[in-house]
Amino acid sequence: MARVYNWQLGREMSYWYPENRPAAQFAAVFDTNKCIACQTCTLACKTTWTSGKGQEYMLWNNVESKPYGSYPLAYDVRLLEMLESQRWDGHTYAGRTIFEAAPAGERVLGWRPEDQDYSYPNVGEDDCAGQIDKGAAIAVPHMSWFFYLARICNHCTYPACLSSCPRGSIYKRPEDGIVLVDQQRCRGYQECVRGCPYKKVFYNPMTGTSEKCIGCFPKIEQGLQPQCFVNCIGKIRTAGFLSRPDQAKPENPLDYLVHIRKIALPLFPQFGLEPNVYYIPPVHAPASFNAQLFGPGAAAAVAAYRNAAHDADLAGLLCLFGSTEGVVRRWRRQGETIVALDGKNGELVRVPMREPVFIRPAVDAQHQLVRTNCP
Amino acid sequence: MRTMLRALTAAALVAAALLLPACRARITQATEVVATRVAALPASPADDAWTRTSEHVAKLILQDLVEPRLLTPSTGEVRVRALAAGGQVAFRLEWADDSQDDRPGPSRMVDACAVQIPRRFDTEPPAPQMGDAAKAVDVTYWRADWQATLDGRGDTIRDLHPNASIDHYPFKAQSLEEGSSAQREMEARYAPARALGNARSGPRKTPVEDLTATGPGTLTPAAVTGSDGKGVRGKSGWSVVITRRWPADVKDGERTTVAFAVWQGARQESGARKMRTGWIPLVAREGR
Repeated sequence: MARVYNWQLGREMSYWYPENRPAAQFAAVFDTNKCIACQTCTLACKTTWTSGKGQEYMLWNNVESKPYGSYPLAYDVRLLEMLESQRWDGHTYAGRTIFEAAPAGERVLGWRPEDQDYSYPNVGEDDCAGQIDKGAAIAVPHMSWFFYLARICNHCTYPACLSSCPRGSIYKRPEDGIVLVDQQRCRGYQECVRGCPYKKVFYNPMTGTSEKCIGCFPKIEQGLQPQCFVNCIGKIRTAGFLSRPDQAKPENPLDYLVHIRKIALPLFPQFGLEPNVYYIPPVHAPASFNAQLFGPGAAAAVAAYRNAAHDADLAGLLCLFGSTEGVVRRWRRQGETIVALDGKNGELVRVPMREPVFIRPAVDAQHQLVRTNCP
Repeated sequence: MRTMLRALTAAALVAAALLLPACRARITQATEVVATRVAALPASPADDAWTRTSEHVAKLILQDLVEPRLLTPSTGEVRVRALAAGGQVAFRLEWADDSQDDRPGPSRMVDACAVQIPRRFDTEPPAPQMGDAAKAVDVTYWRADWQATLDGRGDTIRDLHPNASIDHYPFKAQSLEEGSSAQREMEARYAPARALGNARSGPRKTPVEDLTATGPGTLTPAAVTGSDGKGVRGKSGWSVVITRRWPADVKDGERTTVAFAVWQGARQESGARKMRTGWIPLVAREGR
């Protein structure tokens, strides 16, 4: 194994291949606080990519209710149990990654879901973390909690699927870091299914190959965001490209949210893959739960998000989510307006931070009628 | 005296009974794989022709060269018989396997076996585990799920999961004429491996695949194909015939080498997780 640097762990770690970062890294930020689990993203992906024979059970994008939801079943807790102690020493991970914890004869610590593990994609939907006593649900703050976690492939910097494949059928595109299964080379050994801790590689029994989220690369190549991003009703997502932490640029929206404001965090960074989908943690979930999912920066991220109303730049940038199909490469705030630019500095969209308010009088003098507002 | 004769006769019979299996073993359990020349190769593993050639019992060992490795032995041995006719050789591989695994799916591996022969005859054969960069190997690979589809199982998800519920396939929309080029083109879009011509993918004409390799992880579909096979599930295991080209540069009586591999689906064996033999001498000769 090679030694590589994983900035999410704050240290070097072992990986099957030497460090080889792409020229640009496809990345995303999901705001968990805005997701309503409408599953429009799930269907947008499903109808675009996985409507074929053998893909019936596949959800390259899924939305699960935390703490009890998971697809495939218990994908997270099974590996968390196997990984044992996941201690952080400040912002440095002191436990073992799935590469470092690989048993003899294996490339990574992993497991493989069975048929029935894929049979309940909405298990735990809307289930609260605890019982709600009669009448308590209407109290504020709520006595219990849950939140929605939308998931796609993380197009990891150190993909476990890629390192698990004994015949090099999985590759990371040097131009944008999107991780793909070569459908011509794959022989369906399912080592990638076993290796990916997020279980975002799926075996297709009809073609005999494994398939996964392709980051809608045909759209990315045209400067457009993927289907699950642009169809998001709650406007929780933004896609872009993330720099290395030491090369972060404030005008890059992803860099600003991830590296500079540190408001968006990776999912299960302790696994060691340096995943590239970043989550703004839920503000109402327990700090310990957030820390287990998103690492030691979760509490500070929640605090920054809670303060966004008093933080014009942060609040402004969050307004850009879901406002354009184009990939936003640069952004700037002009007073109360946020401007998004593409890779050629062309203006993609201009978004007001506050929607204008129009007050319509009950009596319309022009048309001589009275309008009633129905609550 | 009569008692003594009776005792001697009994002792002789016991000795003969004890020796008989050993004699049979000497006849049938060859130290090499002998492909006996016959007029025509049998397609079925149950054909009487297989009794005309000796049996080689090959011990299987773990694939322990590259990760992922197999750490726990599974199949102990594979019983091999071989026949040759014209430029073809047929191997019959038999091994014990408690379960029939021929339905692929998530975490569902299938039973399989393979025959490996050096691409070119050489007194120093290639590395036994998939060859090496300088010396390629040819592999003929049989799978139980391919056999099942050739034996009549359909090519739909309901053939694997009878209770599967399918909402809609876009390429089955009423607006697309069944079998039209537009429909086929749309269906291919949702099956990229098939669209790209991945030989591993899609409905098959034979239950075997011709491959070539120059080391672990390099397995590639062979440029020249033409092998065939037939696998039959017995009470306690598989009996599989693999028919392939006899190495053109090896004459009758000359020895090349052959190796075998077996995968048990129920034990999650697939790809590098396999039981395999080392090189075994292989010779073709006329039957006696």
